[in-house]
Formats: sequence, C-alpha cells, structure tokens
Amino acid sequence: MTCKVCSREADETGYCDLHYKAHVNIVKAYAAWKKGLNISWDEYLKEIKRNCLTGEWAKQVASHLMKNEEIENDKTS
Amino acid sequence: MKYSTLTPEEIQESYANMSPTLDFSLIEAGLARHEIDWLYGVNLSRALTQAAKKHSGRYTTLSTGRVQGPTLKFLATRELSIRNFVPIPYWTVSATFGLDHSVFEAAYEKNPIDTKAEANAIVKTCMGKKGTVRTVESQKILINPPPPFDLGSLQNEAYRLFKYTPMFTLKVAQRLYLDALISYPRTSCQRLPISIGYKTILQKLAKSDEHGRFARALLAKPELKPKEGKGFDPAHPAIYPTGTRPDRMLNTAERRIWNLVVRRFMAVFAESSIQQTIKATIAVHINEFTLTGRQTIEEGWMHFYKPFVHSNDFVFPRLVKGQEIDIENVAAQGEFTKPPPRYNPSSLLKKMQKEKLGTKATRAGIIQTLYDRKYITQEKIVVTEVGFEVVRVLHQYCPDVLSSKLTAKLEDAMSEIQEKNETRQILLERAIEILQTITSRLKEQEPAIGKQLSRALKESRLEELTVGTCPICKTGKLVVLHSKKTGKRFVGCTNYFKNTCANAFPLPQSGVVKPLHNVCASCGSPTVQIYQKGKHSWKLCINPVCGKKQPGGKAK
Repeated sequence: MTCKVCSREADETGYCDLHYKAHVNIVKAYAAWKKGLNISWDEYLKEIKRNCLTGEWAKQVASHLMKNEEIENDKTS
Repeated sequence: MKYSTLTPEEIQESYANMSPTLDFSLIEAGLARHEIDWLYGVNLSRALTQAAKKHSGRYTTLSTGRVQGPTLKFLATRELSIRNFVPIPYWTVSATFGLDHSVFEAAYEKNPIDTKAEANAIVKTCMGKKGTVRTVESQKILINPPPPFDLGSLQNEAYRLFKYTPMFTLKVAQRLYLDALISYPRTSCQRLPISIGYKTILQKLAKSDEHGRFARALLAKPELKPKEGKGFDPAHPAIYPTGTRPDRMLNTAERRIWNLVVRRFMAVFAESSIQQTIKATIAVHINEFTLTGRQTIEEGWMHFYKPFVHSNDFVFPRLVKGQEIDIENVAAQGEFTKPPPRYNPSSLLKKMQKEKLGTKATRAGIIQTLYDRKYITQEKIVVTEVGFEVVRVLHQYCPDVLSSKLTAKLEDAMSEIQEKNETRQILLERAIEILQTITSRLKEQEPAIGKQLSRALKESRLEELTVGTCPICKTGKLVVLHSKKTGKRFVGCTNYFKNTCANAFPLPQSGVVKPLHNVCASCGSPTVQIYQKGKHSWKLCINPVCGKKQPGGKAK
C-alpha cells in the first residue's frame, strides 16, 4: 500500500512515516489555532495551506485532508 | 621534530631540540582511525551502491561512513521538522512614543499573547492613556575577549563574515601556513603558550602600517596575558600569526583570513569590553511596557577586532521615575511561530564539533562529500530525496551506523590506544565484529533496500531536471526534454509526450543547463543557468518573448 500523499510505502495509518508525522502535527496545532482565532477545522486547513511558514509535507497533508472533506461533504449532500 | 609554524627560527630550533624517538602510541591511534574509517566507509558504501545498482541496473555512487551517517541524520531530522512544521499564531503588543524628536517602541511585558481577543483587549485599555515611567534600571556588563582561534572557530567566523565554506577556509589557512604567515591551522586548541613569544610577534606586527598602532598599544601594557578557551590539543597551540609580513601579493581571501587571524590574536590580549544596559518600565493604565537600551562604555577588545565586531548600541533619552509620556500609538501585531532554521556549512560544523563527530581536519571534507553525493543542496542546507532515503534505509536496517554514540565510543577507544590502555589490533577486531553484523543485515535486505534507494534516485534525477511547474496544464512539471525526431533539447511539460500538454520552450543546444528554481523578475517564467565551454555562465529566462529580451532572444 502506498501513502495517501506520496509514492512511499504506507503503514496502517495510510500515510508513510514522513507524512504521518505531518498529519500528527496538523491535528496537534489545531487547538492553538482554535483558541487564538476561534476558527473551524476547514478554515484552519485553508489557513495553514496558504501560510508560507507551513512545511511542504504539512501543506501536502492539509491539501489531502481538504480534498477528502470536500468528497465527504459531496457524499452527504 | 615538533613545530607549529614554518618560520626559519622555529624550524631551526625544532631541529636543534629533536625528540629522541617517535610517539608510537600516537601513530598507532592515528592508524587505527584510518583503518576503521576505511573499513566502515568502503563496506557500507558498497552495500548501498550495489543494492541500488542491482535493482535499477544503473550505477550511482552512494556512500556512508562512521561520521557521514550521523551527520546526515542530523540534517534529515532538522529537514523533517521543517517540512512537517505547522506554525502557531500569536500576538505581540507594542506602544510607540515620541521623545526628543525620535520615536521609540516599547514591548508589552507579557508578550507573546495566545489569543487575538486578548491582544485587542490590551490595546483597547491603553488607547488614549498616558504612560508613566515606573522604573529605570541600569546594569554594567563585562564582555570578555573571545578565545584565540582553533580551526572550527576560524571556519565559523570566516563563514559569518565572508560566507566562506569551512573547506575553503581550511584551504586558504593551509596556504597561509605554508607561507609562514600563520601557525598550523588543523588544531582544536584554544590556548596560546608563552613559548610562542607574544612580545616578539607583536613587535613584528608593530612594524606594519595596517596593524602597527594596535600592536604598539598592546606592547605598552605592563603584562601580556591572553584570554584562552577550553579547547586543548597536545600537538599544536591555537592559530596565531607569526608576525612575518607577506612577501607576495595575497589574494582577497588570503588577505581577509590573515587579517582575521592577526586581529583575533591581538584582541585576546586586550581588556574586556564594558557595556551598559538600561531597562525602563512604562505603565500605561494597568499594563506595563519595557524599553531596553544598550551602550558601549569601554570598547576594550572590540577596538582591536574591528571591523569584525559591532557593538549594536541602542540609546534612548534619559528617563526619570514618575515622568509622564505621551503614547502615540498602541498596536497588536499578529505573528506566527517559525520553523527551526536550516543548517548552513558553519552551523553544521559547530554541531559536529559539539557531538564530537570527526576531527578538526576531516569535518569540512565530510560536509563537502554530502554535497558531492547530492544528499544535500544549497547553502542553507536542504536534504534531497536521496539523502532522506539513505537515512531511512540505515535507520530501518542498521540504526547503529547513524548513532553518534557508536562513533563517540570508537573515538574514546582510539584515545585509549594513545594512552597505551588499548591496542590497535583489539580495537580493529571489535570494529570488524560490529561491521560484520551490519553488513550481513544489509545483504539480507538487499532487494528491499535497492527498491527504496532506486525510487529516491529516480525522483532526485527528475528533480534535478525540473525547471518549474507547468503554467498551462498545472499538473505536469517543466523539465529538460529531448525531441524524439531531432534529438534537440527543449524545456517541455512532463505531459508533452503523452500528448496532453504541448507547452514547450526552446533552449540553447550547447552547454550544460541547470535549473535555478526561481522565476524571472520581469515575466515570472522559470529561469535556468547555461554553462558553455570557454564562456561565462549566463542566466536565461525560458520565455522567448520575455520583456527583458531584445528581439532574437538576447537580454536587453
């Protein structure tokens, strides 16, 4: 199984070890963003995706999560 | 014979006081280091190179070693935290006020603030209020002279001041040593023994136009006592100038490094610099702001080390406790936490020194090898796909090779040989035993390792040829391609041969093309560097109708 984001081998999380770490960081940082700016998860993903300080792999994971949520939203609507 | 400079006097003295025997334990320790490094390097590098070749059929030199592996791991760990970094927002509040026709900015004492609402609330409570000086504190601080140069600190300073790589600085210092202008540079010592003759060196320097007045000022002191550092090397003292003046025209780099060594040598004999810091607390309603200033009272050693040191003085007008101040503005500024900084050749060298990886003579060469293998690129070091994969493979199958503990353990054992508590033979046998376990594990996993490394090599090769993202289809990358009909090269989209995107740009047909990974300031198209034999290299915007070019493609 390959990683949801790149062509590396993935583990049971669906991510390779490198992108998994980015995913963990994204989830962990949301609490600080919510406290500071009172923003939703979707807004948060948009913000970190366009922030020039966000790391390349974290941006890739954020894009993947945004795309996934769009698909989920389409399914429910 | 033992000597640290190539001046005729020191060579003659060394010859007259020759040691009766060679230092055999030092030789044994040196040989053990060479043999262990060779054994590790040759076997591990071969294992990686062969694994990749067997899988892809294509030869690429891959290497690792006792010091190279742990060094690359530091870089990969840092790269990982940069690429996975998620910034966190925070806010800072500052108050600006005018005093004596100048504007000053004081920082809120509880910066940084976690929430935007809290920051805005602080600004609101301060608006339209006057400030009152609550406290004014001043403190004198002594800044000691820096220790004399060992090779590492010379390389770091040359990078800070002139952006010279450690390898380049070593080469320049070596030339200055061969010209008898400075002492032996491959030293980790930060001490200057009295036997080098401080006074004689300064007397020689006193005759020069450039350094004369500084040397004469030091000679007027009742006692010459150098400031020394912790570093000690039994073989050589710290780097110092011989006092001899160059008998040939030095090039810019040689002149700069020589001047740096001379000025540092003089600075270590000077007094401490005395600085005064002033901290004022200003209350605005219920909030407090602080203003910090700094002023040099006595230059001390900084006078001798100019222009390589600046005092960064920041002086504000005299404030008195209870004084009322008109606040011009109070503002909240939104900011983000920053990722850790990238290593550069100088900070990496410092890290290697701290972790006791390699020796003063080998560290610069190891950094260069990492560049040569294309494991890392750019001055602010970026780890490539291949660099990452080498670390991942070694971490997965033989993590010991990446551990700085293993290499430090071997270093200690080598010191034991020097102390005659260990023999070279026993240490070599132990090293071979460890190595055999590692190589057999690598052999067992050869197909998997080969697959991982080949994928990374392929991606790295594509990355090297990539000029930018295709602006037309936005899914492909612009790379250097060759026409199937004519064999001519051009920049085209990776979807070009799939017939889904026809975006293409012409290229000169001779010379080497290297993507610059930046865009043209005029039209925003990617740029490449062209290297043609016998000509200066030149930068080319791939857009043939770029506004910067004249008709015919040449730059205006």
